This record gives sequence, structure tokens and C-alpha cells, in this order.
Amino acid sequence: MSHHQNKSAAYGQGMVIFIYLAALTALEYFIAVTFNAVSILVVVALIKAALVMYYYMHIYKLNEDSDDDIHSYAYKTGTNRLGLWLFLLSDAFVFAGLLTTRINLLGLTRPHLNQILGLAVTALLLISSFFMNRAETAMTHGDKKGFITNALITLVLGLGFLLGVVAVEWPLAAAEGLTASSGTAGAVFYMLTGMHAFHVFTGLIFLLVIINNARKDVYSADQHWGVEAATVYWHFVDLVWIFFYPALYLIGKLL
Amino acid sequence: MKSVSPLIRGWLSLAIGGIAAYIIGMGLVFAVSGSWTYVHLVPILFATFGGAMAYAWGAAGISPLTKGLIWMNAGALGGFALGLMIDWLVQGSLDWAAPIASLFSLLAGFTAFFLGVAGLNAVSKGLLWQIGGTLLGAIFISAIRVAMGLTWSGPFLFTEPAWVLGGFMGVLFFLGGNGAVSDWFKWARGMDTPEHHEETHTGWVKYLNISFDHKVIGIQYTIVALFLISVGGLFALIFRTELAASQLQFLTTDIKLFGQNGPQLYNTFMSLHGMIMIVSILLGMAGITNFAVPLLLGAQDMAFPRLNSFAFWISVPATVLLLMSLILGGFDTGWTGYPPLSARAPVGMQMFFLGVFTSGWSSILGALNNIVTVIRMRSKGMTAFRMPIFVWAAIATSIIALTATQFIGLAFQLVMFQRLFGMGFFDPAQGGNPVLFQHLFWFYSHPAVYVFILPGLGVISELLPVFARKPLFGYRWIAMSSLAIALVGFLVWAHHMFASGMNEYLRVPFMYSTLLVAIPTGVKFFSWVATLWKGKIWAPTPMLFVLGGIVVFLLGGLTGPPNATVSTDLHLTDTYFIVGHFHDTIFGGFVFPFFAAIYYWFPKATGRRMNEALGKLHFWLMTPAFFVLSFGMMRIGLLGMRRRIVDYDPALNFDYTHLVMTVGGFLIAISVLIFIYNFFNSIKYGEKAEGNIWNSRSPEWQVASPMPAHNYDQPFEVVGEPYDYGLPGSKYVEFAAPAKATTHHKGEN
Amino acid sequence: MGHFLIVGILVIAVSVLTYFGLDAVGLMPVQASAQAVSIDWLWNWEIVAISFLFSLIVVPMTYSLIVFRRKKGDTGDGEHIEGNTPLEIAWTVVPLLIVLVFAYMGAYSLGEIRRIDPDALVINVKAQQFVWTFEYPEYGIISKELHLPLNQQVLLKMQSADVIHSFWVPEFRIKQDVVPGRVTEYRITPTLLGDYKVRCAELCGSSHAYMEGPVIVNTQAEYDTWISEQAVIAAEAAKTPEGQGELLTVKNGCIGCHSLDGSKMTGPTWLNLYGSDVKLEDGSTVIADDAFITESILYPQAKEVAGFAPTVMPPYALNETEIANIIAYLKTLK
Ligand code: HEA
Ligand code: HEA
Ligand code: HEC
Ligand code: CUA
Ligand SMILES: [Cu+2]
Repeated sequence: MSHHQNKSAAYGQGMVIFIYLAALTALEYFIAVTFNAVSILVVVALIKAALVMYYYMHIYKLNEDSDDDIHSYAYKTGTNRLGLWLFLLSDAFVFAGLLTTRINLLGLTRPHLNQILGLAVTALLLISSFFMNRAETAMTHGDKKGFITNALITLVLGLGFLLGVVAVEWPLAAAEGLTASSGTAGAVFYMLTGMHAFHVFTGLIFLLVIINNARKDVYSADQHWGVEAATVYWHFVDLVWIFFYPALYLIGKLL
Repeated sequence: MKSVSPLIRGWLSLAIGGIAAYIIGMGLVFAVSGSWTYVHLVPILFATFGGAMAYAWGAAGISPLTKGLIWMNAGALGGFALGLMIDWLVQGSLDWAAPIASLFSLLAGFTAFFLGVAGLNAVSKGLLWQIGGTLLGAIFISAIRVAMGLTWSGPFLFTEPAWVLGGFMGVLFFLGGNGAVSDWFKWARGMDTPEHHEETHTGWVKYLNISFDHKVIGIQYTIVALFLISVGGLFALIFRTELAASQLQFLTTDIKLFGQNGPQLYNTFMSLHGMIMIVSILLGMAGITNFAVPLLLGAQDMAFPRLNSFAFWISVPATVLLLMSLILGGFDTGWTGYPPLSARAPVGMQMFFLGVFTSGWSSILGALNNIVTVIRMRSKGMTAFRMPIFVWAAIATSIIALTATQFIGLAFQLVMFQRLFGMGFFDPAQGGNPVLFQHLFWFYSHPAVYVFILPGLGVISELLPVFARKPLFGYRWIAMSSLAIALVGFLVWAHHMFASGMNEYLRVPFMYSTLLVAIPTGVKFFSWVATLWKGKIWAPTPMLFVLGGIVVFLLGGLTGPPNATVSTDLHLTDTYFIVGHFHDTIFGGFVFPFFAAIYYWFPKATGRRMNEALGKLHFWLMTPAFFVLSFGMMRIGLLGMRRRIVDYDPALNFDYTHLVMTVGGFLIAISVLIFIYNFFNSIKYGEKAEGNIWNSRSPEWQVASPMPAHNYDQPFEVVGEPYDYGLPGSKYVEFAAPAKATTHHKGEN
Repeated sequence: MGHFLIVGILVIAVSVLTYFGLDAVGLMPVQASAQAVSIDWLWNWEIVAISFLFSLIVVPMTYSLIVFRRKKGDTGDGEHIEGNTPLEIAWTVVPLLIVLVFAYMGAYSLGEIRRIDPDALVINVKAQQFVWTFEYPEYGIISKELHLPLNQQVLLKMQSADVIHSFWVPEFRIKQDVVPGRVTEYRITPTLLGDYKVRCAELCGSSHAYMEGPVIVNTQAEYDTWISEQAVIAAEAAKTPEGQGELLTVKNGCIGCHSLDGSKMTGPTWLNLYGSDVKLEDGSTVIADDAFITESILYPQAKEVAGFAPTVMPPYALNETEIANIIAYLKTLK
């Protein structure tokens, strides 16, 4: 579908989806500070997740007919894609387990966290996804320079998110008394953000690898499985945050 | 000397060497500790290894195996001495002696064994790197601690955090160092690699090295699984010896080994028995699946050969971690590792968690590969309902392993973090919830029991038609029942928690869902019986194990529903009745079919058959012995024998039953030893197996044995149903006309 | 048809034999509670079902192995039967019905054993490594023994001080975990006089095997006597320091690990402990004086007694008078 779009249409679609996502995030924040309806927050998160899965991660490609020749690049890419999605499914269970832990231990309460900072890092990650989408689109159209520029922006934003959480948010929270051993709220907070940060970290390494390889002209418009994989993985990390952000910052009463 | 047969020479040397090594071991123990307190185990180990070495020497002169064993002994002794020295240098006394010296001895012994067998290979290299990585990680944390003004030394040389990072780095270094990931690193640097590397090693050495061939990997898995069954079984024999009579006679409170006294050792052995056996199941079934699935599908290999090899190799350092847990103080929680107990156990607990976590990845990645292979790599004409039935079982298993495994990994990780960073997930003092752990744990560990059996039941369904000479009765129903078991299996986990104090209203729905599993399982049983009905049954060794598996699993299955109906479970839970239930299901669903599969596909893998007489002896020794063991378990369980106890009240009058059970356990062990002997002996001396020895319709039996390197030289097309035995003129697969002129070139496939 | 008839008769014969065989052996311990009745009822039906289902599979299987075995020299195949949909449906639906019946019976039996008597006698149970202590809140009695009056429902409110334990008296059938951080409940109506034992059924550490305690079912009269005796003993003990010390050791569960008669349990015996030479793990000896005992209670890890695992004893935050009382009590143990 989008594979056959022309480049500017594809860029445009990425932009529209980004605007939707940003608006929904703002809506979430608004609901949280006003009437805090958990069910609406859950629905909004699900909508965001669906948008990301469809338009940014191109889940429909799993269904795409690929070449009949099992030794062709296209067929192997189809195989790889299935493998990657199964891996994400498996990984999703880690995060589902973490959410279960959060719900079981904290219920309808949430730790005291810096809201502005939370919104800021969330925005960083979301914008990074926007640029990642542009990077991939550039590569599908054989635009190596566009790819590298956009991927580098993603990298910087992702690094910003990582540092924002680990180097700013964590010390701040600790200074306010929320430490790993201060109770279940602290334990849940550090565990969830930590596990997510670990995935962001691996995503960054993945980005470095594909940027470096793109510079060596490893990828082309038709053959860039590495880029697709890194992109899908990066969006997946964003997808997780779509659930973690409300789970940690928005849902429930302040402890 | 010439006139004596190698066998007799071997046994003679075994006797002499064993006794000599026993004496040396005793002397060493006395020299180190000044007393005979750890008499029980160290000399026995010495005797075992010394004896094995002498046996190999006597039977085959200086063969690679002999060399390996000699090196192993030297390495173990050297490691022991090194450990003692470190201990003495650091501590000024020999207080840490047992654990640290034993750990060094274990690691050095293993590494030296593989070095001695075949020099530097993927195993010995990996182990060397793992040792290096472990030390590096541990020293790194210790250095940080020193810099922070904390103490660096703990009860087992290093502190707990140091051991955890060490253990973790050890795994990474193993994989980085042995070459399992070098292709990926090349890809990351933008380099291309050939799709299949040609085997650089031939003969048995290739099994010690990285190979991307699914058949080699399948055999590697199988061998490691057999090794683990032996280790887990050995642990069972040790604690069964203690249980043979009430009161403590063997694992007494006076002995001290690896920093543990007798009852603590009991707990460690018992817990490790459970987990090592479970890991052996996962690896054993991965072995059969890996070997068989691509062959059954007509694929040249698995979808991701590198991932396949990675998934295998990661299980090797995981095994080392599991064994390290025994030495680093052990742990006393059972295989379930429930907190708060597991939050207080010694460092060994962390090694156990880390080991399970690591082998979990093996399971996850193997499952992923399997699913993709089945979806993408089938040969022409192989529609879903024309796949051999084993493939369906593999798919159902993989769905569970791919997803649910993450939950046990997470549950264990949370306890690890609770211990390391004081995060109070399961600590009631901090508002944590111990029951949450049980939910996370069983969300995996219940479906996991179906991972144990589904491939085994698949083997049963696959082999029955061959030996009954009749179509598999109700193929589609059997295929769907595997999926049904797997899916319903996700909804029943809390039946392990009826007495746990979880929300009471959850108990009834979980009872219903649990009982539902009986229905698809029943479909399998009835269909098997109908397959046998009016067949022309013959029963060589593989069929014997299939039939034994059916009966044993039936007993295990039928003892499931009483555990599921809540009120009866309140009596049964945590007793030997449960222990009996799951030994039955596991033996019937895994052990018997595993052996059946090995006897059945061994000729395909090696071109030779295993000895039929020894095979039958194996079966006829193991089966009755097992019945004695498991009926004993159930009987005393009902009468009040709790699980996981080192000693029982003499007033209960269980002594006699326990004694008989212990004898049964030892008889099973003897039968397994016969099997192991048969296995290795037949590789070299077995009767040549030409052609389709079982007269099977399955594609892999239509070509020569052993299987060629890239499986089928000609692709085949599926033209009929897989199990149409007795239908004249029917055909399952048809091979493309042999391409005469075009010879096969390496690299092209 | 002939085959089916023979197999049918054999299945029934073998089921009946199996069931009565099992019944004759006697599978369960004696029945000592009202709750056990409905559990044993369900269990009995389960044995019936197991006997039947086991025969239903194994008999035709064995029959086939004998009757349909391949004759010498025969290399042909069996009959070509691929399946039979009505049959498949039958053996899906019939087990479904059986299972539903059992699920219903399970729920019914669960309801029976949870039937609540509002006048139940309440006893507090404390579980800790590796000892059970029972508190009769109305009388201020703390005891290592659980005494229960016959035919009266009791409600045990159970709490754990450390890890998970599980309360099980096999003759009562029911088991309930005791989980730290919450109170779990256990209801039982004893119906048979006698001495039983509570056996901890959840692995709780190195001496889990020995975490047993006496459970005694008395007649109402005997029970009343015991209660009043204990009340007197408790009142007497509270008057002297050593008496208070003794109560403290019961209340804190020390006697779960330390014997008073010289036998070796999880911890060293207390008989003749005070003033004796205690051998430590590093080879030295110390005298068991006030300082050493105080240290051993507050910081058990400080000195390791030879022959015992160092990490087992938890630290106890007792105050000075309490420790003094315990020491006074220890002095009396000669
Ligand atoms: C190989 C693994 C395996 C398998 C296949 C099973 C199969 C089943 N198990 Fe088992 N189980 C274990 C391994 C397994 N189990 C282990 C390891 C434990 C202990 C864990 C621990 O605590 O350490 C355990 C514990 C366990 C418990 C918890 C007990 C406790 O600790 O209190 C329960 C409770 O419901 C249970 C139930 C069942 C049921 C209902 C089935 C069913 O799937 C069985 C279905 C099969 C049949 C019923 C037979 C064939 C069917 C017919 C002939 C049709 C007609 C039948 C009827 C109408 C009933 N099992
Ligand atoms: C694959 C699974 C599997 C297998 C095969 C077995 C096999 C055996 N098991 Fe079991 N067992 C479990 C899985 C398994 N077990 C689990 C999961 C638990 C629960 C643990 C827990 O509660 O946490 C358990 C618990 C358990 C208990 C309960 C312990 C307790 O609660 O205190 C007992 C007691 O008798 C027991 C006995 C045995 C015996 C005698 C065998 C025998 O069949 C063993 C026979 C011996 C061998 C197969 C080895 C033969 C080989 C050699 C001797 C060669 C040695 C050589 C070298 C090392 C090179 N096991
Ligand atoms: C879980 C088991 C356990 C419990 C409960 C326990 N102890 Fe101990 N105790 C031990 C062990 C094991 C040792 C020896 C090892 C050591 O020094 O730590 C010990 C040692 C001691 C000693 C050291 C002297 C000696 O040789 O006996 C004293 C005094 C003591 N305990 C008192 C107490 C008191 C008082 C309590 C209750 C308030 C108590 N213990 C509860 C296990 C226990
Ligand atoms: Cu308390 Cu086991
Ligand atoms: Cu289960």
C-alpha cells in the first residue's frame, strides 16, 4: 500500500498520523488532570497503539504476497518480517507482565512524579517516531541522504528520551524520596521505566548500526530489510511507552 | 593383555581406577578439612570421574574421550588447588574452601574436558570465555564497591551483586567468544555472509563446533538433554538415598558441602533436580523438533539457521549457571522459587534464576524459529492438513514457549531485583504481594507443562500409524486437539494456587477451565486406541516406548482432575500425590516418547540402528521400575507425605514404601545407563540401516540414511495424505524426477 | 461385533476390579473432620471415574496388541480407516458432560467445606520458621499445642512472620497457606477424638520437614480443663522473670529451633547452654554469658556457632528486659 505511494504523499501521511498521535496525547493529559476517567485513557491508548501499528509499523505487510522463489530477497524479507513480529509478540509479554505487576501492586493509585518532565520525554519519543517514519520512507524511495538525516534526528531524540528518563527523571524522583527500595510505587516505577529504557538503548544501537551501514551503501530502495527491522523495532518501543506513560503518570489517584 | 576383550579391560580399569580415585578423594578431604565430614560426596565424585577415565582408557586406549577425561581430572584438581589458594590468600584460612575450590574445580574440569577431547572448539572456547567473563564481571563490581567504600568480599569470595553481573557477563562472553554470533556481528558491520557455511569439521567434532545445520543442532540439543537428564537423575538418586528411610542417615546435619549442611543440600538437590529435568525436557524436545520438523516439511533447514544455533548455544552457559547455583550456597525453594523464601536464600538462588532466565531465551528463540519455519518453509503441496502430525504438535508447543516463557523470566527477574536493589515487589513489609509472584510464575509454568508433553504426544501420534500399519484415526481432530490444549492451557494457571490464599472466588472458574483440558487430551487417547484397533501391530523398541508412554501418561492425566476439583486438591496439594501425578505425566509425555523418538530416528541421523535387545532391556527394566516409583509416590502422598521434605515422621510408617521407591529410582537409572551405552556404542558399531527400515510413508524415510547435508537432493511435492496406510496405490510425497546432469553445488542452497 | 462385545465386558470387569481393589487398599487417612466427609465423597467418585476411564483406554489397547498383532511373515497393512466423525463427536461430548458433572460436584463440595458457623471458636495461629504457635485470644493463652473441642467449628486466623507456610492436618484433609502480610482463614469441625499433627506443607527452609506441631481433639470437658490449666500456668509464669522469659520463647517461636532436652534441631539446644563453652565455626570458643546471648539474639550472624548454618536464625528486636527475662529462663535449663 504505502510502498507504492509517491514520496511526498508518504511523508504527508506520516505527518498526519503524527498530528493525530500528538493530539491524542494532549487529550490524555487533559483527561488525566481533569476528570481522570480510566476507561477513556485506556481507549485512547489503544487507538494510539492501533495507529502506530498500522501506519508506522506497517503490520499489514505481514500479509503481503511475496515472491514465490524462496531464495529471493523478497521471500526472505517476508520470512524475516514474520520472525521480527513474533519476536515483538514475545517481547510484548514482558511488558504485559510488567503492567500486570503495576496494576496488582498499585491499583488505582500512582506515584508522585514530575508531570511536565513526563510529558516532555513522551513528546520526545513521539517526535522521534515521526522522524523514524520519515527515515524509512526516504529509504524506500532510495533517498540515502534523507534517510541518514532523519535517522540521525531520531537518534538524537531517542538519546534525549533515554537521558531524560535515566539521568534527569530518576535522580529527581529519588531526591523526592521515591527510590527503588522505598516501597512498591518506587519499585514499579524504576522497573517499568528501566525495562523500557533498556529497550530504547538497544534501539539506539540498532539505529547506529543501520546509519553506519547506509553510509556504506548496504541498503537500496528494494533491499533494506535492516532499515525496516530497526524502524519497526523503534516504533515498538514507542508503542510500549504509549501504555507505560498513562500507566505511570496518568491513571489513578496520586499516592 | 591382547587376549582380553576391550569391554573387560574397561570394567577392570573402572574398578581399579574408581577405588583408587575414591581413596585419593578421601585423603584430599582429610588433608583440607582435617575431618571426614564431606566424605560423602567428594570422594564419590572422584571415584566416578576417575573410574570413567580409567574405563575409557582400558576400553579404548588413549582415545579422544580418554584424553578428555584425563584433562578433566587434571583440570578439576588444578581448579580445586587454585580455589584453595585464592581462598587462603584472601581469607587467611580455608573457610571458603568447599564452595570456591569446588566452583573452580567444576569450571576448570569441564573446560579441560572439552579441550582434551578436541582442542579448541566452540565448547571449550565458550567455556574459557565464560570463565573470563564471569571473573571480569565480578571483579568489575567488586572494584566499584571498593571505590564506594563497601566491602568487596562476600560469603562466596565475591558479593552477591558481583556474582550476578559475573554470571550474566559469563553468558555474553561465552556467546561472543565461541563464534555463535560472529555472523551477526558481520551483518552489523554491513558484511555479507554465505547463507550456509560449509561444515569445516567432519565426523563427531562437528558436534562440538558451531553448525547451522538443523540436524547437527538437533543432535547437539539431544546430547545436552541426555547429559542433563543424567545430572538431574543423579541428584534424584542422591536425595532418594536419603529418603530410603526415615531420620537422617546420609544428608545429615553434620556434613557440610558447598557451604550447606545435609538438609540444605537436600533442598538444593531436590530443587535443581526439578529445574534441571525441566530444562532437559525443553532441550530434548527442541532437539527432536529441530531434527524432525524441517525433514518432515521438506525444508532444507530451519528458517533462521543462525538463530537456531544461537538458541542452542545459549543453553550451554545456562547449564553452567544452573550447576554453579549448587556450589554457591545452593538454594532451598524448590523449582518454583517462591518469595519471600527465595528473597532470602543464598547466592545460589541468583545463579539459578539467571540460569533459568538464560535457558528461557533458548526456548523462546527456538519456538520463534519453529513457527516461522512451518509457515514459510513447507514443500510444495503441503497444506496445513497434510502436514505430518508432529508438526502440529510442534506449532502448538511453540506458541506457548514463544509467549508465556517471558513471564517466568520476568517473575524471576523481579525477585533478582528485589534481592539486588531492595525493590519490594513481593516483600509484604514494603507493601509487596507474594501471591503476585505465583500468578506470574504459573502463567508460564502451567502452559509449560504442555510444552513438555505436546511434542511427546506428537511423537506418539506420528509413530503409532507406522507400527499399527493403519491411518492415524481422526487426523484433524488430533491436530486441533494440540492447539486446543495449548490455548486452554493459558487459562488454567491458578489451579496451582488453590490453597495459596489468592482471591477465593477465582477458584471455581479455574476449576472449570482446568477440567476442560481433559477433553482434547481424551480425544487423543481415544483416537490412538482407534488407530490400534484392527491394525497389524508390530512392536520394535520405538513402538514399545510409544505404548508405554500412552499408559503412563494416561495415569498421569487421570490423576489431574482430582487436583483440579478444588476441595480434593486442598488435601492433595503439596503432597507426593502431586509428585506422582507429574512424574507420570512427564514420563508418559516426555521421557517415553523422547526415547521412542531417539530409537526411531537414530538410524536416520547415523545410518545405523541401535541394538534392539538392549533397547528392549531398557524398556522392560524402566517401565516396571517406574510404576513402582510413581505408585509409591501417590500412595504415601494420599496418606500424608508432604513434598520437599528431607525427613518424614517414622510414625507414618512410610519407610518400607520409600525404600521400594528408592530401589525403583536406581533401577530406572540403570536402565538409562544401558540406553546411554547403547546410544554411543551404536553410533560406531550398530547394525547398518539401509533404506526405509520402518516401512514408513514419511518423506525422510524415502531417501538414504544418514540424511544428506542439505536434506533432500530433489525437492518433493506432497500428493496425498500422510497416513494412508492400507490404501493401495496411495502416495504421500513424490520426488521431482532426478535431475541427471545438474550435480549439486555447495553454496547454491 | 464380537470384538466389541468382548472388549466391553472386559472394560467393565477391569473397572470394577480396579475400583474395588483400590477401595480395599484404603487410600485416605482416617476421617477426622466434618469437612473431610464431602472431600472423601468427591474423591470416591473420582476413583470410580479413574478406574473406568483407565480401563476404557488400556483394555482395548491391550486387546488390540494381542488380537491384532502382526502375524509372522505378514507384511501387509491394516484396514484403511481414516476416522469417524460421529465417534469423534461422541468422545468429545461425553467427556465434556463428565467433566461438567465433576466440576459441579467440585463446586458443591467446596461449598460444603466452606459452610460458616457464626459461633465458631476463633484461634490465632502464628507460623514462622519452623514452629507453629497458637493463641487463644479470649484467655490470653499462648501454646505450642493446638487443642480443639469435638464437634465445634473453629476458625483459625493464620499469620506468618517470615515466609509462606501451609497448615495441614492430613486427617482433616484441608490445607491452607499462611502468607506473610495477610491473614488467611481455615475452618474446621473436628469429629474424631485423637492426637494428630499439623504438618507444614509449603517449603519454608532447611527445617521445613520438622515444622510439625501437636493437634489434639478433646471432648468439650477435657478442653475446658486444659484451657483453665493453661490460663493458670500463664498467669503464674507472668509473675517471675524466668516465667516471662519462657512465655517469650514460646511467643517468638524460639523453641521451633532450640530444643530444651539436649537434642539437636535447627539451632543448638538450650539445655545447659548458659555458662557453657560454645564452639564457633572459626575454631575459637566463647562462654555463653549474658553478652554473648544478647548478641546472639539481636545479631545472630555476628558469631557462627560450629555445626549450624549461619543465616538461619532471624534477628529479633527484643528490648532489654525481654532479653534479661529470656536469659533468666535459660539459666533454669539445667
Ligand atoms: C507434563 C506435564 C503435565 C501434564 C500434561 C499435566 C496435566 C494436568 N494436570 Fe498437572 N502438574 C504438572 C504437570 C502436568 N500436569 C506438574 C509438574 C505439576 C506440579 C507443579 C509443582 O507444583 O511443582 C502439576 C500440578 C497440577 C495441579 C496443581 C496441584 C497442586 O499443586 O495443588 C493441578 C490442579 O489442577 C493439575 C491438574 C492437571 C490436569 C487437570 C491435567 C490435564 O491436562 C490432564 C488431562 C488428561 C486426562 C484427563 C486423561 C485422558 C483423558 C481422557 C481419557 C478423557 C476422559 C477424561 C475425563 C472425562 C476426566 N496438575
Ligand atoms: C523430566 C522430569 C523428571 C524426571 C525424569 C524425574 C525423574 C525422577 N524423579 Fe523427579 N521431579 C521432577 C521432574 C523429574 N523427575 C520435578 C519437576 C520435581 C519437583 C521438584 C520440586 O519440588 O521443586 C521432581 C521431584 C521429585 C521428587 C520429590 C522430591 C521432594 O518433594 O522432596 C522425587 C522423590 O522421590 C523425585 C524422584 C525422581 C526419581 C527417582 C527419578 C528417576 O527417574 C531418576 C532416574 C535417574 C536417571 C534418569 C539418571 C541416570 C543416569 C546416571 C545415573 C548417570 C550419571 C552420569 C553422569 C552425570 C555423567 N523427583
Ligand atoms: C529459624 C531458626 C531459629 C529461631 C526461630 C531462633 N533461633 Fe536461635 N539460633 C539458631 C541457629 C541456627 C543458631 C546457631 C547459628 C548462629 O549462631 O547463628 C542459633 C543460635 C542462638 C543462640 C546462640 C547460642 C547457642 O549456642 O545456642 C542463642 C542464645 C539463640 N539462638 C537464642 C534464640 C532466641 C532467644 C530465639 C527467639 C527469640 C531464637 N534463638 C530463635 C536458629 C534459630
Ligand atoms: Cu513452614 Cu514448611
Ligand atoms: Cu498446571
